[in-house]
Amino acid sequence: MTNETSAAPMTTVNFMTWVKDNLPVVVVSVFSIILFVLVGLKGGAPQVFNVLVTGGMWALLATGLALVFGVMNIPHFAHGESFMVGAYVAYFTFTPINKFFLTTGSKFLIYSGPILAIIAAGLAGCVLGIIIERIIFAPLRHRTKEGWVMNAFLLTVGLSFILVNGTTLTLGPNFRGIPRYFDVPSLEFMGAFIAVDRIVATVIALITIGSLWFFLRQTKTGRAIRAVSQDETGAQLVGIDLDFIQTLTFSLATGTAAISGASLLFMFQAYPTVGLTPLYFAWYVVMLVGLGNVAGAIVGGFIVALLQSATQLFIGLSWQSVVPTVVMILVLILAPSGIFGSEVKGVQEQ
Amino acid sequence: MLELKKLDSGYDFLQVLWDVSLTVEDGEFIALIGPNGSGKSTTLRTIAGLIKPMSGDILFNGESIKNKPPHIISRMGISYVSEALNLFTDMSVQENLMLGAYAVKEKETQLNTLDYIYELFPRLKERKDQLAGTMSGGERKMLAIARGMMSNPTLMLVDEPSLGLQPNLTYDVFAALLKLVKQGVTILLVEQNVNATLDITDRAYILEQGKIVMSGLSRDMKANEHVRNAYLGI
Repeated sequence: MTNETSAAPMTTVNFMTWVKDNLPVVVVSVFSIILFVLVGLKGGAPQVFNVLVTGGMWALLATGLALVFGVMNIPHFAHGESFMVGAYVAYFTFTPINKFFLTTGSKFLIYSGPILAIIAAGLAGCVLGIIIERIIFAPLRHRTKEGWVMNAFLLTVGLSFILVNGTTLTLGPNFRGIPRYFDVPSLEFMGAFIAVDRIVATVIALITIGSLWFFLRQTKTGRAIRAVSQDETGAQLVGIDLDFIQTLTFSLATGTAAISGASLLFMFQAYPTVGLTPLYFAWYVVMLVGLGNVAGAIVGGFIVALLQSATQLFIGLSWQSVVPTVVMILVLILAPSGIFGSEVKGVQEQ
Repeated sequence: MLELKKLDSGYDFLQVLWDVSLTVEDGEFIALIGPNGSGKSTTLRTIAGLIKPMSGDILFNGESIKNKPPHIISRMGISYVSEALNLFTDMSVQENLMLGAYAVKEKETQLNTLDYIYELFPRLKERKDQLAGTMSGGERKMLAIARGMMSNPTLMLVDEPSLGLQPNLTYDVFAALLKLVKQGVTILLVEQNVNATLDITDRAYILEQGKIVMSGLSRDMKANEHVRNAYLGI
């Protein structure tokens, strides 16, 4: 009896101190859950899926940004162009396959075509990432680390310029889109019809994030990536090849962004500046949760998508970019290191 | 095993080491002592490849390593336990240790070394799931040394392990180093605690203002007039 009475207040106290210590996280989680329920009640299954599709995409893009910033200290403003490249590669892979499908009517191609296009985009993104890292960032890194963050930032802006205008020059400013990836009827889900493309895009985003997470946590190379992000010198001292890890990280980030661009081709189409909106939203996410925080970026992606969906439902479609921006400004004023506040090595000392 | 030949080194325009030559033979326990800012850490950082020497040469088992990157030098068998420790603070003790064996290919060798290290430092075994950043200063030093051992190095460069430690923990760290030497590991130790260091090491070099001013057997050093005046305060 005495034990019980003394134990009960103890746990309450522990819980209260935990809540106090993690106040921003608790507030944000509670707020998000309430918002999600409201969105679900008002918008039903289509809106819930909308949150999942866009959330998965922001999360995927923001994870890449967080990784590149955490490991290499690069504020990556050409990340949207990886998305763009992914969209183009998927378009140019999928269209001929689809044409061939229309002439033959092969069942196999209905399902394998889109997947093939998305895989091709991912691979192309990885290769592009390796090339960019090797010819742009590696030489600068070897020359000097002085003013690195600013220099790297300017380089990414220049890179974005070159990629956007280079694409316009070679492929023209036209929109290249596809009506849908999977030429099959929508699935019924709780009384609403959801396009198979959306479901597949969500699943691909979740699988990609999941594999990336597993890779970073459970594999030797993944641990080495995290080691570099926590202590570069320490990583070198245990025999980790910095150049290899940084090229790999950049390649992974570019590849995942390309996958994202490819799996959303049916929504966004491919055109030279398609990466701009995804880039902005991915940056909202990483600023919201804290730069370089990979776990936060995943959660943050869904939070931003939720904010957008809720704004669209309760305020109006045209406000859906305004509200996340306002939230971001508030976060920058009230909690400059993000709601999950993380310190990024290297940035402060530079 | 290790030979520095007329080494000049430093940072950009600031030369710290002037014409430093020293040799470390297999199995020796060598001390490098000197006042603050005399270039002790710079010497170790240059050997580890974190700083490129301006001139001179560094030979490890007869091979020049002065132009090799740090991760290659580490894989050749030189382990540098830095003053700043450079631990992976958001990872567990065990993850830190396993990363210490990053360059070791065979899983079995890794696990054997891990067992051996847990035997040597039972404290680390108790805390294997704790985040490295939340450990006390003494435990962190132990972890840094243990991580340095995970690659089965033949030469360890240990930088100021007693810095900021209370005396009994300093004693523990020194005892651990002595154990390593008995196992056949060669150690080059940089220390401010000159008295204790001269007691446990075989030979010592004294570095002042970036130059080697004296070298010899540690026990002879203890009797030397200059060392007694400048470092032991007797």
